[in-house]
Amino acid sequence: MNTIPLKSEAANELYASLSPELRTELANHERSVAVPAGTNLIKRGVLPDQLVIVNSGKVEITLDCAHESILLDCAMEGRVFGMRAVVSGELPEEDVTCQENCSVTLIPRDMFLKMVRQHPEMYFAIAKVLSHDLVMAQRLLKTSLRRPIRKTIAKPLGLPN
Amino acid sequence: MTMAYNFQIIEDCLKCTFREHRLFCDLSREALLRLQSIKATSVYPKGSLLCLEGQPPRGIFVLCTGRAKLSTTSSEGKSMILRIAEPGEVLGLTAVVSGTPYEATVETLEPSQANFISQAEFLRFIQEHPDVGLRVARQLTHNCKCAYGEIRSLGLSNSVPEKLAKLILQWAQHPLEFASKKSQETAIRVTLTQEEIAQLTGTSRETVSRVLGGFRKKGWLRVKGATWTIVNKQALENLVTT
Repeated sequence: MNTIPLKSEAANELYASLSPELRTELANHERSVAVPAGTNLIKRGVLPDQLVIVNSGKVEITLDCAHESILLDCAMEGRVFGMRAVVSGELPEEDVTCQENCSVTLIPRDMFLKMVRQHPEMYFAIAKVLSHDLVMAQRLLKTSLRRPIRKTIAKPLGLPN
Repeated sequence: MTMAYNFQIIEDCLKCTFREHRLFCDLSREALLRLQSIKATSVYPKGSLLCLEGQPPRGIFVLCTGRAKLSTTSSEGKSMILRIAEPGEVLGLTAVVSGTPYEATVETLEPSQANFISQAEFLRFIQEHPDVGLRVARQLTHNCKCAYGEIRSLGLSNSVPEKLAKLILQWAQHPLEFASKKSQETAIRVTLTQEEIAQLTGTSRETVSRVLGGFRKKGWLRVKGATWTIVNKQALENLVTT
């Protein structure tokens, strides 16, 4: 990972619901890096050390299902990953992988949790990020009920149906 | 004590005996007092629609008693059940927090009590009481985990017998209390119709009827009205390959 200059006003789903003061405080702990395509930003079964905010580039979120991967979503700038694991301490169930070269902002888990303890009003912003994850899962669930899930998996990945 | 249908209405959240076992409701006294002032308690008969898929969010419902089905409708008008909500769940949470339309239609499966909190009041409630935010985050985390489980289950279950066996075994985790502890049999209460079970497993009512008939014929299951008795749990477990 190469360190690149910090994006001062990074618009993302977490910061969008935080006060300017909290955004500034968080910015003191964040680090922006460039990552190559194929990088695993969040790895299933591994507690992330940091929150990951995508500043640019495309990532895919997949769920492991026996011998296959189910594509949950493709996401671009503004999405925040690792929130569920960071807040609950539970291991992530999904993989988040860069599909192209990306720029991401990292916020250390311990620092983020410390801030949440000091500023519990941050839970509202956290709930918004978690809601987004849930909406994404619910939409895939609906699509899967409407047609066989293998098609849901195969189509976005370009696999034969 | 106010009774409705066959249950006691829980009007005062501070006196609710189920509170500490529920993901959302175990709040501080201060937050509970506030909740008490902003909630509207209602009792709904079976078949009541609490919210409709695609409708702008009006607020959340805390399901106190009873169960509800969360369903979605395809463009062809086919209804599919996403999951069954149990007492203690907060319904409409993602829509209210993210300001997007309700993701599912919620319909009570039996007489139920739900506490309604308007969107504006609930958002203020989260911001004013940190422990509410924490509970909301926990509930969302739990719901997301369940949704991932459902997605995996749909991706892995290939046959209808396997899907039905999985469902029955899932229900068996909450057996009826009167069942004999000595017996290897497990009694469960199933209030869903065969049509609803079909919607839940993504198949037709006829197929559900045929597969359940097969389970009965093999002596794995006894069905007497809404009481189902799992006679051969091992046989059902053997069907579940994933």
